[in-house]
Amino acid sequence: MSEGTGKVLPNRPGWLASVNPWVLRVVNNPERLAFVLHRLTGLLMALIIMAHIFVTGTPARVGWEAWAEEIAKAQGITVVTLYFFFFAGIAWYHGLNGIRLLLVEFFGTCIGKPEKPKPPYLAPSLKACQRKLLYTVYILWAILWILTGYIVFMG
Amino acid sequence: MTFDPEAATRTPPKKVIFRVKRYNPETGKTWWDEYEVETYRGMTVLDALLKIKEEIDHTIVMRYSCRMGVCGSCGMIINGMPRLACQTQVAEVATEANPVITIEPLKNHPVLRDLVTDFTAFFEKHRSVKPYTIRKDKEELETGDMEYLMSPEEHKELYEYTLCIACGLCYSACPVAASDERFLGPQALTYVWRYVSDPRDEAWQERLEAVDVEGGPFSCHYAASCSAVCPKMVDPGAAIQRLRSALIKYRLGLYKKKKVAKKATRPAEQVKPKKPLPPEAQPVPGANIEAMEREPPTIPVEQLIA
Repeated sequence: MSEGTGKVLPNRPGWLASVNPWVLRVVNNPERLAFVLHRLTGLLMALIIMAHIFVTGTPARVGWEAWAEEIAKAQGITVVTLYFFFFAGIAWYHGLNGIRLLLVEFFGTCIGKPEKPKPPYLAPSLKACQRKLLYTVYILWAILWILTGYIVFMG
Repeated sequence: MTFDPEAATRTPPKKVIFRVKRYNPETGKTWWDEYEVETYRGMTVLDALLKIKEEIDHTIVMRYSCRMGVCGSCGMIINGMPRLACQTQVAEVATEANPVITIEPLKNHPVLRDLVTDFTAFFEKHRSVKPYTIRKDKEELETGDMEYLMSPEEHKELYEYTLCIACGLCYSACPVAASDERFLGPQALTYVWRYVSDPRDEAWQERLEAVDVEGGPFSCHYAASCSAVCPKMVDPGAAIQRLRSALIKYRLGLYKKKKVAKKATRPAEQVKPKKPLPPEAQPVPGANIEAMEREPPTIPVEQLIA
């Protein structure tokens, strides 16, 4: 098909573009935003866990006394508190959305039943309870993040 | 893709600027061209592109055929969303405040020229899932004179998947296909589920085992963009989740196909005896319907003239 027509332009945007919500602006598709956030939070969590393992390995290198001193110094630092706050936000979103994805992807639930097309021609899965679950995830995420912020900053 | 009747009947702005992404395979150059087009009520994006080709720039290239959303040839990215150009009204995507329409070739398909993409890999994937009915008794399928029986409920289960026109919009919108060439894609996987759930098909085990590979349903992350852009309401997103769930159950030894359709027997056994019409449904009081069906009444010419 493409023979004799010169160069074919590979048009696959790649992984980074796939998490860029501005590459494609699909309407009525909050699931795509959920997917993008899930990927980004997953990536951030993987990076944070690696950093966390590196930091918690410090006593082995500098000794327990020096470690306790450093931890005591870090208690009141705003950057550390902010780190905890943002980590909590990332973990809450990834966990809550992960439960939704487990229900939808592995148990095949909340995606509605096949139906005959009728106006306004909206795919059954886009009006099924997975959409409500998604909004519940966002609401719970906001509530839990605010509560965590209260504990981290005020507690 | 949702249908907005209000937007479809709206009058578009008098003049709309079309920003079209161009590609020349001879030079390997990509650039954007702008065309100002005078519109009319009911004009589709494909109409506008054809007007550009006829009146402004003869070198612009696009693929189209039926102009009524049946062939699936004119898929392109219109204002950032994969759509069929023949099914998209200019008034839907252009407003008085922003009378600009951006048109790009479908993503995840290699571009041959301007808006024409290469569907070879896409159709290879479609072909690889064997999109046809497979029966154990091949002779019965080849020489069969009767259809396979299926209840209306069973038909409803798979009807929406049979509407697929292989336009490639779902594949273009898929963020997994954007990064993974091996991914079979929403269209091919929907076809797998369409035949696994079809009571007339007997190769469901082979089909499930064939897609339990890298690039199969487990590569999907349910961004549901495929379902959101599908012009035929096929819902590939849900089909892939059903397929994945069935595959998990199958691997755990829990999945059983509900029923395998049997071939219909002689037609005489299927024909139900006719019920007599109720008195209120009689066209003429006292008319003998059966006799009229056998031999339609002839009206004299004189009566017709009178």
